[in-house]
Amino acid sequence: MQSVENLVTQIQGLSSSASDISVLHNLLKAADDSLRSESARLLPLLDQLEPSKHSLGYLYFLEPCTYGSITKERASTLVPTIARFITSCVAEQIHLAPEKFITVCKRFKEQVMLLEAPIRGVGPMLTAIHKIQASTEHLTALHPEFLQLCLLAKCYKTGLSVLEDDIYEVNQPRDFFLYCYYGGMIFIGQKRFQKALELLHNVVTAPMSTINAIACEAYKKYILVSLIHHGQFSTNLPKYTSSAAQRNLKNFCQPYIELANSYNTGKVTELETYVQTNREKFESDNNLGLVKQVISSMYKRNIQRLTQTYLTLSLQDIANTVQLNSSKEAEMHVLQMIQDGEIYATINQKDGMVRFLEDPEQYKTCEMIEHIDSSIQRIMALSKKLTTMDELLSCDPLYLAKAGRERQRFDFDDFDPVPQKFNI
Amino acid sequence: MDFSPLTDAMASKLYDKIADICDQLMLQVAAEGVAFEDEWPYAIHLLGHLYVNDSNSARFLWKSIPSAIKENQPQVVAAWNIGQRLWTRDYAGVYEAIRGFEWSEEAQPLVAAFSELYTKRMFQLLLSAYSTISIQDTALFLGMNEDDATNYVQQLGWLADPASRMLTVKKQPIVTEQKLDPGKLQRLTEYVFHLEH
Repeated sequence: MQSVENLVTQIQGLSSSASDISVLHNLLKAADDSLRSESARLLPLLDQLEPSKHSLGYLYFLEPCTYGSITKERASTLVPTIARFITSCVAEQIHLAPEKFITVCKRFKEQVMLLEAPIRGVGPMLTAIHKIQASTEHLTALHPEFLQLCLLAKCYKTGLSVLEDDIYEVNQPRDFFLYCYYGGMIFIGQKRFQKALELLHNVVTAPMSTINAIACEAYKKYILVSLIHHGQFSTNLPKYTSSAAQRNLKNFCQPYIELANSYNTGKVTELETYVQTNREKFESDNNLGLVKQVISSMYKRNIQRLTQTYLTLSLQDIANTVQLNSSKEAEMHVLQMIQDGEIYATINQKDGMVRFLEDPEQYKTCEMIEHIDSSIQRIMALSKKLTTMDELLSCDPLYLAKAGRERQRFDFDDFDPVPQKFNI
Repeated sequence: MDFSPLTDAMASKLYDKIADICDQLMLQVAAEGVAFEDEWPYAIHLLGHLYVNDSNSARFLWKSIPSAIKENQPQVVAAWNIGQRLWTRDYAGVYEAIRGFEWSEEAQPLVAAFSELYTKRMFQLLLSAYSTISIQDTALFLGMNEDDATNYVQQLGWLADPASRMLTVKKQPIVTEQKLDPGKLQRLTEYVFHLEH
């Protein structure tokens, strides 16, 4: 067994070439337990190591330092050390010990939270994701941590940078649930409701054997965002939703289902009364802000409905039908909706009339063709991915064994390597 | 703290870059553990978000500002005052908020550039939303007095009717270049072929 001082020398000597590093990695693995037992002595020794050169060794020394309960004082020395390490470490070296790196980053997040300074973690955590990620298609355990920090530090825009990548590879279901939930919240904050719906929908319909709190909270927000964005909500979940979610979600979100029912009546006053009587429930869920947006979206919805019936309508009539106080108020609502691209209309102030128009998009500009083109490319790439995944799955021994058992007359004499029937 | 990227952008009037520069700089100094809050140019940062029409980010930034700073730095409050009017779509109130404060020498050019840009945005909005609009409202939306506003829109082809004090909006035909890259056409043909066979 080596002393830790000895190990420091080894790290310094064996951190340059790839073969040296693999030797070093074995040494460190062997010394892991003794490092842990000497964790109190390690922090000062880190000064002798260079995070940008001795990344692997640094990581092995740093990790034990983060164990145990951490006081605020200790956190304030550890946080800058870890931040510096994350920023300067070499990706190839830390890839040898990804679990350790993730543990360090997770503890780092806990410490910045302890210091009540989530913003200090945002930048390093983003760097950490980029360094540990095998490709942008992989979800790491650090994604949810990063998004949570963004939410707490109110750096919503920074959070978007990882949400723009499409994720195809997930290891831990919990990471995926949290990633989609926090991601949904970030998109809600940026008022990109379509993307928010997509992510929240992923949480609700993801495979799960038992119902979980993340899915419940996601479902509540899903209902509200669906009302804001589409003006309607249906309790029917797609067929591929787990039975646990199908059976239980509604029971946990009753006030929200009732809110949606009240919304469907199209009467603003009724909705307002309902919200008023159930205010505390929404408030304790931290959803009151969204609920208020639901109420104001109802005016829009009702105006949008008018565009389906009328070609022209007076501002006064609009005010009367959607329960606004004056024709000026109706004008402002229509104007806002035009500004946001939610309706196409022109206001004639002279006659006090609004003329509803068709969508002027003629799908013949270069930009539009560019846009359609890139969509087609994306869909084709996605379809290819799906085919590969399907093929992989149909060769998977575990799956075949299960599918084979469920299939009544499975016979090895069937020269049919792939089961015909998929019990999904 | 090294503010040189920010001062460079301000000096070369690259106002649309300011929000991103500030965001990045803030994360960087925060990660280094610098207590940046007292020296942070919050007003510029807020205005930078507003300049690129990102009132969401401006609102979140405002929420993250320590209350001591909100109390002691009137310019930060004044900058958010603009943001708040944008947020509530108080179209004319934006100009009041701009004019109602004596901006520092540093912020003044940015505020002026924003004001000009906002007038342009408002003109585009009126153009897309109205067929006729009163001179009075036009003046409010454009942040000018009635004569200036009438002149401004008349130059762009609108017609004024002095009797009813109404303006008739003249839509400008949007000229877009329609040059199609033959490679694109080829690709579209391939898609259709792919789908049909």
